[in-house]
Amino acid sequence: MLPPFLERALLAVVLISVNASLTGTFTVFRNASFLVAGAAHAALAGAALAIIIEELGFHVPVLFGGLVFAVIASLSAGYAGKGKLNRVEDLNTAIAVSFAFSMSLAVLFISMIREYAARVWGLLIGDLFLLSYSDLKLMFFATLTVILISLLFYRAFMFVSFDPEVALAYGMNVRLYDYLLLSMIAVSVVVIMGGVGAILVFAMFVAPPATAVRFAKSTGFVFAMSFLISLFSGLLGIYLSFQLPFSPGAIAALTASSTYFISAFLKK
Amino acid sequence: MVKAVKMDENGENYGKGRKAVEVRDITCAYNGHVALKDVSMDVMRGEFVAVMGPNGSGKTTLLRAIAGIVKPVKGEVRVYGSISYMPQKDYVNVNIPMKVWDVVAMSILAKGKKFRWSVKLSEEEKKAVEEALRAVAMFELRNAPFTDLSGGQQQRVLLARSLATKPDILLLDEPFNGVDLPTQEKIINLLSELSNGGITVITVVHNVSPLIHHVSKIALLNKTLIACGKPEEVLTAENTLRAYGVSIPVTVCEEGYPHPLFGDIHG
Ligand SMILES: Nc1ncnc2c1ncn2[C@@H]1O[C@H](COP(=O)(O)OP(=O)(O)OP(=O)(O)O)[C@@H](O)[C@H]1O
Ligand SMILES: [Mg+2]
Repeated sequence: MLPPFLERALLAVVLISVNASLTGTFTVFRNASFLVAGAAHAALAGAALAIIIEELGFHVPVLFGGLVFAVIASLSAGYAGKGKLNRVEDLNTAIAVSFAFSMSLAVLFISMIREYAARVWGLLIGDLFLLSYSDLKLMFFATLTVILISLLFYRAFMFVSFDPEVALAYGMNVRLYDYLLLSMIAVSVVVIMGGVGAILVFAMFVAPPATAVRFAKSTGFVFAMSFLISLFSGLLGIYLSFQLPFSPGAIAALTASSTYFISAFLKK
Repeated sequence: MVKAVKMDENGENYGKGRKAVEVRDITCAYNGHVALKDVSMDVMRGEFVAVMGPNGSGKTTLLRAIAGIVKPVKGEVRVYGSISYMPQKDYVNVNIPMKVWDVVAMSILAKGKKFRWSVKLSEEEKKAVEEALRAVAMFELRNAPFTDLSGGQQQRVLLARSLATKPDILLLDEPFNGVDLPTQEKIINLLSELSNGGITVITVVHNVSPLIHHVSKIALLNKTLIACGKPEEVLTAENTLRAYGVSIPVTVCEEGYPHPLFGDIHG
């Protein structure tokens, strides 16, 4: 029998890998890698606001505040990033601006909090070995939702990312699908981040699919290979954390992001 | 302001010798910046129309208005039949390693507003994908990732995608860019055949010479419609001067078609 903390960590690694494979790959296909960091930081502002509201005597879960803000931030970026009609590539600039906006808002809100602001930053920091059962439950249901939405809207997400203009010409509701995709990315990022911390999410959601795309001969390959890279990174992190005095998340994040750079050399 | 109306049903105005597209006095703008002004033109079923004009003259905008992607701020577009649209390649995200076959199939799967649960193609649909790929000579590469293709090959796949839905009206934006000459000729012959079979083809081209023997009409644009009609009526020195700012010499070939001599101006 494994100790419960280890069991939870292993399960979390599997859940993260599913999200890295689905959300991460769609993010890379949509040219929106920056959204992972953008949504994570928007969540800070939401978390801070939730704490302010709590100080006023109304209970709002911190993570819920974070989720709402992350979704709003990615939808606004999606809206603003459509400046040039339906072009796909302008999103990252809009995310950068929305990133700056929500960070300023976060700083403002945090300065208004009377109690120790560490609870806000706590959203960014997590540890694979400190996961609670309820963290895991939430991650599990978020992952289930991501799987379901990805299966149902796979075609739509692909078409909207490939060329929105033609999707529109064929009568697809491009805006709706694009907003659904961006919301799914935001939710997936924030929930996983709430459990295991931001660094691990940044590394696992972007590096594995970006690595996989380099070698891909099909889209299925990208989904599969990102899953395997994240799984490998996560397991290696847990394994090495017993041999070395490092946190498993840090090793996993290092491994995942290293694959990206190593693949760049290999491909040259 | 009148909104663009699309009519998909087999209404009265449907059938050979009838209108396929009616563009009535449309003006299109992006964020208040007018790209196309007061354009009216009719296209009949089975016509093969070339749209010409300098860069930024509104050719893509005209196709977008017909496809319903851009709503005119003034005027009205009526379309009688189903549409396929092939964009200029720089509007496509070429970083997704979708297989060639899947790129072509996506148009079939997306056709119509109804949500389709199954991603499986029927036998008939598979045949349509195969035919479309063969028509552009890309069937051999059907399992290759789109990302690994050359620019011209990608262009051919995008053309195949628009053919696969067997539309009544084909809208093509510079379909021959980067396509080698033998393939270009093959595609022109195919488009000509399609138009003889009653399909309406409207294509943006910069060099009309290779298809001049096949087109029934040329629309010459420069922010507005300079001229629209039979090639010999449109390609006059006066019209090309108004469209391009330089008068382009035209030679008439043995069969009586006017060939503009682009890039062949002697001092
Ligand atoms: N999505 C857009 N947003 C804003 N302005 C646009 C957009 N698309 C085109 N325009 C502007 O509208 C005008 C007409 O553009 P359009 O793309 O229709 O020209 P075109 O004739 O197709 O040019 P090209 O030969 O370069 O393809 C140009 O001034 C262009 O800058
Ligand atoms: Mg154009």
